[in-house]
Amino acid sequence: MTVWLRLHALALADAAGRLARQPFASGFSILVLAMALALPVLAAVALRSAGAVASRVDTDPHVNVFLALDATDEEAKRVGQALRSQPSVSSVRFVPRAQAFDELRTTTHLAELLASLDHNPLPDAYTVRVATSDPAALAALRDTWSRLPKVDRVVADGEWAARLAGWIGFGRTVTLLGGGFLALAIAFMVAHLIRLQVATRRDEVEVSRLVGATNWDVRRPFLYFGLLEGALAGLLAVGFVQALALWTQGQMQVLAPVYGVELQAFSVALPEAGVIVASAALLGWIGARIAVGLELKGLAGRR
Amino acid sequence: MIRFSTVSKRYPGGHEALRGVTFDVASGEMVAITGHSGAGKSTLLKLAAGLERASGGSVVVNGQNLGALGDTALAVLRRRIGFVFQDHKLLFDRSAFDNVALPLRIAGFARDEAARRVRAALDKVGLLPREKTNPVALSGGEQQRLCIARAIVNRPSILIADEPTGNLDADYARAILDLFVSFHQVGVTVLLSTHDEAALERLACRRVALASGALAAA
Repeated sequence: MTVWLRLHALALADAAGRLARQPFASGFSILVLAMALALPVLAAVALRSAGAVASRVDTDPHVNVFLALDATDEEAKRVGQALRSQPSVSSVRFVPRAQAFDELRTTTHLAELLASLDHNPLPDAYTVRVATSDPAALAALRDTWSRLPKVDRVVADGEWAARLAGWIGFGRTVTLLGGGFLALAIAFMVAHLIRLQVATRRDEVEVSRLVGATNWDVRRPFLYFGLLEGALAGLLAVGFVQALALWTQGQMQVLAPVYGVELQAFSVALPEAGVIVASAALLGWIGARIAVGLELKGLAGRR
Repeated sequence: MIRFSTVSKRYPGGHEALRGVTFDVASGEMVAITGHSGAGKSTLLKLAAGLERASGGSVVVNGQNLGALGDTALAVLRRRIGFVFQDHKLLFDRSAFDNVALPLRIAGFARDEAARRVRAALDKVGLLPREKTNPVALSGGEQQRLCIARAIVNRPSILIADEPTGNLDADYARAILDLFVSFHQVGVTVLLSTHDEAALERLACRRVALASGALAAA
């Protein structure tokens, strides 16, 4: 066990030493890897912020149900009961036409215009809050309600939110695909770097095998090299995203209240940073594993 | 200790380096493989050390049939066999000390224990004062001795040397041969190849002659 640990410690030290001894070469490759990593992370974080905006507006969409002008109080009440009977309805508020007219007169600059009218042109209306944000369910409700007697028009507010949610879903798919491609690219980039490493250490690999190194012994320092390079690139990528978050915070603060939402932290939380760094390290390891496997097979073939 | 049974070795491309070779090396024995260059001496030694695999027959070392071992087991077995390469196989990116330390590093020795053994091995071959020197700066004879130090640092029970006096002048060669005799005297099984008659006289040990890949006289 101690031997096993010592072998791993030695391999790790060897890999770290190699990284440190070529600060420019290592730095540049890590920088490139970090930028490739930062792109999908940034996209994911931006989508999450947009998703938060959408979901807050979206949680309780309004549906305005306008009654016909000739609807009686009795008929209006019946419509109200029909609305309340729906299980997905969370609240129903009746807005009598007189009240709507008053509100319009006091909250807008239309008082003069309204005064010139000889009758109230506004209908009675219900403002219904619906617990679902599923666009299909909303459409079904709107359909049902527009067929109620004395209902003139049903306007579902928040359709824009549904559209936004749609775009966000699309964005997620694109990010996932793009992220997948970039992850592959990172593994291949590390593989290429490790190939170069193996090439420059060919003699050492060959002699090590001659004096009793197993394939695992030979691979170990290279795998740690890939792992370290990936982890460092992951850290740097998180740094990039955080820096960008700070930079855009001001803009977010202006933007967020416009949509009636609180500022969603446009940044990476600590556990997420951990996941990013771990995934990057894993990608580095995989790249190294592929490269060393291929290179060693090539070396073995020469014997 | 080492048993060859009808061993043959054919390289890709069809060259047949060994044909039906059968002989034993007893524990603690010293045996010299003789023959012209191309007779199959190097191949024989590589098979004995598990550096290559036989195409036919069996090579048994320390009771283990090398042909039946997997790559990893074969690698681990190599740690118990010291091999002195004809072309030394030294690494020129590190000191003499680090060259000798390589097998111990691979085997996972603790740093202090490894350093002790490396210095003992370097002392044995007379290179302790040059432990920090890069092998590039060493003479041919010194490089050969450094290779021997690396071969014995794991304290193997079997020491195999491929033409250890190959390119050395007579004085150096004698010193190297005396080293092998001294290892033999402390119980190490020594198997070496040479085509140098003076060397064979100095070693005064059993000879196994190879000619065109087959035994000529045992």
